[in-house]
Amino acid sequence: MPEIILEVEDVHTYIGQHHILQGVSLHARADAVTVLLGRNGAGKTTTMRTIVGLLHPTQGAIRFAGRDIRRLPPYEIARLGIGYVPEGQGIFATLTVDENIRVAMLEEDAESRKRLEQIFALFPDLERFRHARAGSLSGGQKQMLSIARAFVNRNRLLLIDEPSKGLAPIIIDHLVTALRAMKQQATVLLVEQNFQVASALGDDFYLIDDGRTVHRGPMEALVHDHALKKRYLGI
Amino acid sequence: MTSDGPSAAPTPVQASRILEREARFRQPTLYLRLALTAAFALAPVLLPSFQLMDLMLKIALFATLVASYDVVIGYTGIVSFGHAMFFGFGAYAVGLSLGKFGAPTYGYLALAFALGVLVSAALALVIGAFSLRVKALFFAMITLAFAEYALILAVQLSHLTGGEDGISPKLPGVFAVSFTAGKVLGVDVNGRVVTYYVVLVVCLALFLTMSRFVHSPLGRTLQAIRDNEQRAEALGYRTFIFQLISSSFGSVVAAVLGGCYAMWVRYVNPESALSIQIMLDVLLMVIIGGMGTLYGGIIGAAVLLTARTLLPDLRAVGTLMFPGSEILQRLTERWLLYFGILFILVVFFFPKGVIGTVREVLSRRNAAR
Repeated sequence: MPEIILEVEDVHTYIGQHHILQGVSLHARADAVTVLLGRNGAGKTTTMRTIVGLLHPTQGAIRFAGRDIRRLPPYEIARLGIGYVPEGQGIFATLTVDENIRVAMLEEDAESRKRLEQIFALFPDLERFRHARAGSLSGGQKQMLSIARAFVNRNRLLLIDEPSKGLAPIIIDHLVTALRAMKQQATVLLVEQNFQVASALGDDFYLIDDGRTVHRGPMEALVHDHALKKRYLGI
Repeated sequence: MTSDGPSAAPTPVQASRILEREARFRQPTLYLRLALTAAFALAPVLLPSFQLMDLMLKIALFATLVASYDVVIGYTGIVSFGHAMFFGFGAYAVGLSLGKFGAPTYGYLALAFALGVLVSAALALVIGAFSLRVKALFFAMITLAFAEYALILAVQLSHLTGGEDGISPKLPGVFAVSFTAGKVLGVDVNGRVVTYYVVLVVCLALFLTMSRFVHSPLGRTLQAIRDNEQRAEALGYRTFIFQLISSSFGSVVAAVLGGCYAMWVRYVNPESALSIQIMLDVLLMVIIGGMGTLYGGIIGAAVLLTARTLLPDLRAVGTLMFPGSEILQRLTERWLLYFGILFILVVFFFPKGVIGTVREVLSRRNAAR
């Protein structure tokens, strides 16, 4: 049986007065890409932010590699080996590309240097604009930088939130190629609205609706289940 | 296999560092900085006027104080209104140690600096530990409350601080007014001149330390926290600890500068060391120079202090130039109005401060190439 690296059990999260997550449960298999799908406002990003500790669940359990991480602060969760690529990139705009990557590099060793070289091979633009301010990059380049920052450490799990949002199709193709290469080295939990990207990368899927997980299974099955896609994704 | 040995070719990270180090000596700003240092060093030789020498050293002192505030507000994004309070602690430590409880000896002078630094570091840690976790606005308000409280204490505890009359400490040995060591390059080497150079060296050393601080990996992390605190936390940084380090470091530098200020003016009272006006001046200087630039403080301090020193003289100039016109004479009296106009113009034409705007224009030009 494949190792389950992340377990989320019946998680409830409030943002202010609003009960956003009302029972999200999911398992992420090691070395697989698990995709969270759902309409806008279904609770996908809230699920990601709850896993990395930026939001605190009121109920439920979150375990990473068997360890309860529900009450841990974000910096401790990150140091356990969970990298997070937020929606909207979340880069440090006044730092250069190089400084953004170096800040993310928690330890500089042979492994992280090797990863940095891999990043530059995957995203040549980042090497070209290495000394440019991150705030001056294009949307696609910012997304690449955001992913590169999570990849530079030896993270066991990468949480990537809508990497293709607002990007041109040619940039999306480039990102998909890069993410395919990265999935060889880390387990990925991906939130993606673009079904083509989701199906190209995903191994498993979870459908979230109104803050609850309503369906799960292999991505292959969802690709062929037109009724389910129509009902929950409107495609 | 990747080798870390000295014979291995530099990795991208090492190559970037080598480039950075080499670039440091090719920057035209390096020569500008050297020229500026030379100007400050030669001021007592070239400027026979004490007023100008006083202005030069105050610019150096306040530029360094503004830089220390810039580490806190510009590089870390912490809005504090209590920074000048630590400057006051340093000044009062020298005043009390040499002028009230101790004696004008080098031992008491060293003790004064040690106490100023320790008290400031401890208080910065306590304020930070209790209030850095709250929202930025609350932290700003709490630091303002502490600064007001320190000012009230300095006025009320007159048996200890001399109240509003303040304290006039006597300085030991080579810093004493009576000290004289003949002439060098036509300049009387007296206690004033020695104090000028010692304070200038301290300012320079502190400035270089702060420059190293903000360009270190720690400084980079502080800038990341300023840009996006949640993101920095999700990358694995306990941002609260970094903010605490930054605010304490800035406070310690301010305390040392306060001690130097007391050595130079040889007088400490609540208005000159602890008033909110000092904090407002520092804030104006950092805005004029540019936040997150460090060197902007030099421009901010130079503009504000020069204007404040020279603009009041406009009245005398007005009387001389327009002896028959009362209206024109009155107009030259309103130097604060001109200063206000100058400030508006700076904010209008340099929205990110002088250095911040120049850097942005240069970076845009480089990107366009």
